[in-house]
Amino acid sequence: MKIGGSYTVPLAPPRAYGMLQDPEILARCMPGCDHLAKIGEDEYEMKMKMVISSVQGLFAGKVRLADQSPPDSFRLIVEGAGKVGFVKGEGLLTLALVEASTEVKYEGEVQVGGMIAGVGQRLLDATAKLVIKKFFEKFVVQADSLHDLNL
Amino acid sequence: MIPQNFEYSTPASLKEALTLLSNTDAKILAGGMSLIPMMKLRLATPERLVDLSRVPGLSGIAEKAGAIHIGAMTTHHEIEDSALLRARCPLLAQAASSIGDVQVRNMGTIGGSVAHADPSADYPASLLALEAKVRLVSAKSDRTISLEDFLVDTMTTALEPGEILQEVIVPVEQAGVGVSYQKMAQPASGFAIVGVAARAGKGFARVGVTGLAGKAYRARNVEKVLLETGDIAKAATVVGDGVDANSDLFASADYRTHMAQVYTARALKQALAGAS
Repeated sequence: MKIGGSYTVPLAPPRAYGMLQDPEILARCMPGCDHLAKIGEDEYEMKMKMVISSVQGLFAGKVRLADQSPPDSFRLIVEGAGKVGFVKGEGLLTLALVEASTEVKYEGEVQVGGMIAGVGQRLLDATAKLVIKKFFEKFVVQADSLHDLNL
Repeated sequence: MIPQNFEYSTPASLKEALTLLSNTDAKILAGGMSLIPMMKLRLATPERLVDLSRVPGLSGIAEKAGAIHIGAMTTHHEIEDSALLRARCPLLAQAASSIGDVQVRNMGTIGGSVAHADPSADYPASLLALEAKVRLVSAKSDRTISLEDFLVDTMTTALEPGEILQEVIVPVEQAGVGVSYQKMAQPASGFAIVGVAARAGKGFARVGVTGLAGKAYRARNVEKVLLETGDIAKAATVVGDGVDANSDLFASADYRTHMAQVYTARALKQALAGAS
């Protein structure tokens, strides 16, 4: 499944880029993230509890950052598995200055398998978009708070 | 498959149900047409089910002061079959008759469907076109909000923890307005790949769309173009504008968007034909 879209973050690209690389901020913004720990260079271990409607899934997995070229782009690789299925995704994030803010564009491919994909196929696309939207909503709040502090 | 063990409660009053709901990880059981299959697959593993089937006063259809109040536990079949709704709010009866199959319509409820907020459910298209409201109650609050505000996102609603959707409120249909719900059904599940509900008459248009996006929405741009130009084909082409269309194995985003245009044109045409 292909995904793509863009969100606007109220910070200049270098700051937005820095935030997107900061594991603490990522942990705060990923929906349902319980735990994020560094296990190597640009590689993190993650536990997530996703709750959407009555479905809830615990996922354990890894997040990796690659091909970094600050402050323009990097690649984000996520993989996770839980009782209800597995998720693998890879996306290219590009940052561009638009009127004193940063437009973050993402484009990538997500694979979902196991039980959740077998029975929930028709909902995967909408759910993936919802998770990304939740991430950026929280991310913008974090960015706003930095902006207010003039950091 | 067999669900994980859970506690099962059958409260005999709304107050008792609301108290039980304040427990952690309790889930409301209405008709169970979505929840039970998910529990059997262990995708949903609630600790407690609060079955509303024995709570008095949650089921039934009644007209009060120009509006029709439908209890949350009213089944799709009761809505489809209601003489009151067929005469006074035919769009909702038509939408109910297109849901799933006979078994689902006999068990499934309007409150359960609306609170589940499946992006392909049939009701929201009609309820948005009807500018319906929902009444939400909890131990401490009692509020009535528009369905548009209630549907937040994919399977996400404005229901707060501890709240129960008590009833759905729809208006009595205006004179001179024709209605239609047109749906392209997924052949296996019966869910709407796209579903378009229209109410239209002289100087009046309301359009609700389900299945196309992450949540059902009211297509105000279609209403506007129709009212300005009176051109059904032109109005239908804007239905997917600004909408991030869903895509799955059955229907790609482009195909869905195209089908939404086709079904919007059909719904508008039929609604206008029925207006007098």
